[in-house]
Amino acid sequence: MNDINILGIETSCDETAAAIVKNGQEILSNIVQSQISLHQKFGGVVPEVASRKHIETITAVTQEAFARAALTYQDIDAVAVTHRPGLIGALLVGLSFAKSLAYALGKPIIAVNHLHGHIYANFLENPGIAFPCVCLVVSGGHTSLLYMPSHHEYHLIGETRDDAAGEAFDKVARFLGLAYPGGPSVEKAALQGQPGLYKLPRIFLDRDDFEFSFSGLKTAVMNLWRKLEKSGEADVNNMAAEFQAALVEVLAEKTLHAAKKFQVKTVLLAGGVAANSLLRSTIAEKAQVQGMQVFYPSLSLCTDNAAMIAGRAYVQYMRRDFAGLDLNAYPGLLSL
Amino acid sequence: MELIIRTEEDMNKLGETLARILNKQDVVCLHGVLGAGKTTLVRGIARGKGYQGRVTSPTFTLMNIYQAQEPIHHFDFYRLEGADLIDLGMEDYLQKELCLIEWPEVGSGVLPGEAMHIYISLAEEDYDRERLVQIEAGGEEGRRKIKELEQIVDTGC
Repeated sequence: MNDINILGIETSCDETAAAIVKNGQEILSNIVQSQISLHQKFGGVVPEVASRKHIETITAVTQEAFARAALTYQDIDAVAVTHRPGLIGALLVGLSFAKSLAYALGKPIIAVNHLHGHIYANFLENPGIAFPCVCLVVSGGHTSLLYMPSHHEYHLIGETRDDAAGEAFDKVARFLGLAYPGGPSVEKAALQGQPGLYKLPRIFLDRDDFEFSFSGLKTAVMNLWRKLEKSGEADVNNMAAEFQAALVEVLAEKTLHAAKKFQVKTVLLAGGVAANSLLRSTIAEKAQVQGMQVFYPSLSLCTDNAAMIAGRAYVQYMRRDFAGLDLNAYPGLLSL
Repeated sequence: MELIIRTEEDMNKLGETLARILNKQDVVCLHGVLGAGKTTLVRGIARGKGYQGRVTSPTFTLMNIYQAQEPIHHFDFYRLEGADLIDLGMEDYLQKELCLIEWPEVGSGVLPGEAMHIYISLAEEDYDRERLVQIEAGGEEGRRKIKELEQIVDTGC
């Protein structure tokens, strides 16, 4: 069979990304133009700034993806693009670009759900992952547990009631005066501190379901911090360590509980928060005891990128799951 | 008007009561520090309007839409510091469908003067304690609604 090369385009949040992946496996190029430095001064993503920067950089990023892959436009078999969920203005830039390119080249267009892309990042590096699996998707916008019997079936078994885990990292970091994005800065501070010196709640840990809530944890941090400041005992590193420990413990326990309940032997982590080393090591240790295998993408594939989009699109390509040129973008998840 | 809210459950209930006086032209701005209870109040309003699904923080997507009896638009401008709002397309919804806006401060130039403003503050900056809720309105219709609310709500004061 001929090789299938798919161009992936991803502009759902603050990265402008293009990548070419061969046969859903081999990354020929993976270009990510991050806007993080641009957003740092605002302490978060500024959507309108994001859309404008996507427009400015998407052509160059795509050209670079072709140059690194040493391919011409005609060498690709399809154009894949993230169409949900994300910032609507940002998504539309990638979508319009991808549709125009696909139309001009006479190639099919494949609409990829950003979360499916994050999950697929695991398969890019580990082709032999066995189904069924339980997957924890944790990022700035999502905290979801899924049961996946196959590549094409996603059953949502639990998600956050309020804030996403990554959002809690960002908000707590900002409150404590740590840098944006909050994940790496809290993790770094936590290394200098000790968990357990301050006591934060493990919210919903005692519940026999797969729901999460991080808004209360965020409030508990702020409440305790205000009191510690008054008594002059506030230590940002110890607070970061306890916050991270509280959040990770709940994520890890619920994920392992889901894996046991659904009797799977494979656990997948995905999304930007899956880059957190404490989360990785905690879940890996607990899973090993249970005889389960844990997979998580390498750091560069945890955060937003287009290789995961092009990789995921290969599965859809094989099923001839193509979109029309009337494809639209949606900010919300709608369905998994 | 001013109210004292002692529990999360009471904040939900206040939202449910507010739902009875709000209709689709209304714009409600919710002010308060992180963790004050803004999203909880929105959840109560959505429940009061018959929406049973999830009400989560729209910080990431900027806007959630809840398909209640009539659609409810839940905005969050937390991440919009320093940027203008014109391109967000808000004018498609404002004063046409019910809009509930968290962190509305950066939108003051775009939001209608008749908007209702709800300020939630912590008693002595202590998250464990009660919340003080102040409700104000810019327009005649809003002030009439607050009078109506005063008749049907337990102010806790």
